[in-house]
Amino acid sequence: MRIAITRTGGFAGIERRAELDTTGRPDATHVQALAHRALASAAEEGTAVTGVPDGFRYEISVDGRTIHCADPHLTHEQRELIRFVLKEGA
Amino acid sequence: MHPVFCTIVPPHVLDKLAQSEDPAVSESARRTLEHDSLQRTRRRITTLRGVAAPTGTPSDKPERTIYDAEHREVAPGRKVHAEGDAPSNDTTVNRAHAGLGATFELFLKVYGRHSIDDAGLPLDATVHYGEKYDNAFWDGSQMVFGDGDNDLFLDFTIPVDVIGHELTHGVTQHTANLEYYGQSGALNESVSDVFGSLIKQYALGQSADQADWLIGAGLLGPNVDRGVALRSMKAPGTAYDDDVLGKDPQPATMDDYVRTSRDNGGVHINSGIPNHAFYLLATDLGGNAWERAGKIWYATLTGGELLASDADFAEFARLTAASARTLFGEGDEIQAVLKAWSSVGVPAS
Repeated sequence: MRIAITRTGGFAGIERRAELDTTGRPDATHVQALAHRALASAAEEGTAVTGVPDGFRYEISVDGRTIHCADPHLTHEQRELIRFVLKEGA
Repeated sequence: MHPVFCTIVPPHVLDKLAQSEDPAVSESARRTLEHDSLQRTRRRITTLRGVAAPTGTPSDKPERTIYDAEHREVAPGRKVHAEGDAPSNDTTVNRAHAGLGATFELFLKVYGRHSIDDAGLPLDATVHYGEKYDNAFWDGSQMVFGDGDNDLFLDFTIPVDVIGHELTHGVTQHTANLEYYGQSGALNESVSDVFGSLIKQYALGQSADQADWLIGAGLLGPNVDRGVALRSMKAPGTAYDDDVLGKDPQPATMDDYVRTSRDNGGVHINSGIPNHAFYLLATDLGGNAWERAGKIWYATLTGGELLASDADFAEFARLTAASARTLFGEGDEIQAVLKAWSSVGVPAS
């Protein structure tokens, strides 16, 4: 599974992007499950809420499916996935 | 394989998508529009302009409360400091308290505004939000500050202009409510930079020629080798040019206007143009920037229904000229306003 996250906006207005391939990772099952939950919560629970000025905006793509979300209205799973991919991804 | 629509998609695009012949696209866009319009209705309720304060006269003293998120992404968090308390052992708490005070002070003393909503809104702030969180924002009702990662960014409570910038988003929300997209979004950002800088200048007692006109000076961390701040109103595009941060993308004039769908249509990029116009006006008039130049901008922002929420640069520029005439008549001020906008390539008349 390929997970790509682009973070835009923020006070600085500086874009950040990271991508991660779960293939061959020892934590692949965990990360894939997290990604599924992060996307599912956006699609099904209507987390598509209005962002705030200077709040970070995120684009999360998982195997070609893309969702958008924004601080401070992220689900727990989205927050965790974003933190993980921006830290571990390249 | 349809995207889930969210905040990043501007309403006018959603309007188009909602009319799409692809039912999956139109349905998704329609639902988002309904949700957004509910949010906007709520916002409109809070932005009714010229409505009298609820009861009595609002206080001339701020009512500040600081909360600690304890490195989680929650707000407000645990209450750690009230208005009358002695200084905290946590310098971040003290900086937030002082920054809220400096902002309250400028708006009250210079523009006669009682807090963010002009009705004495208590000022709440959450510090230590998240882990190594590289941002600060106004969430619609309170301030939120991250600690920074200590690599690229330091603690976001350090520069008083950052605190002022964010709180000014609250003032804009309660007045012109400039839509956070495209040119109106860049104006929203610019107005926050203008008053953020004025709050710093007022606190330091600096005149226009003494001010650094930087936004976010002191915020950049040890891993940024070449940068002085995040934005420069004096020389947009020159604040940083670094191997990690990249280069400051701000234009100073319409010749270099950046057309992009990123960053809500470049709100943090093209704000360089109205920022520079304000700088030119303030330095041309001389003296304290918060006096004549600041009053013209403040009157434009808060002048009731005149300034549309989707105003573009030219509309804003025309209204600053109108404000200058109303406040100061046919004098140096109006000439300086017209000259400043002309220098950045925006028609003001």
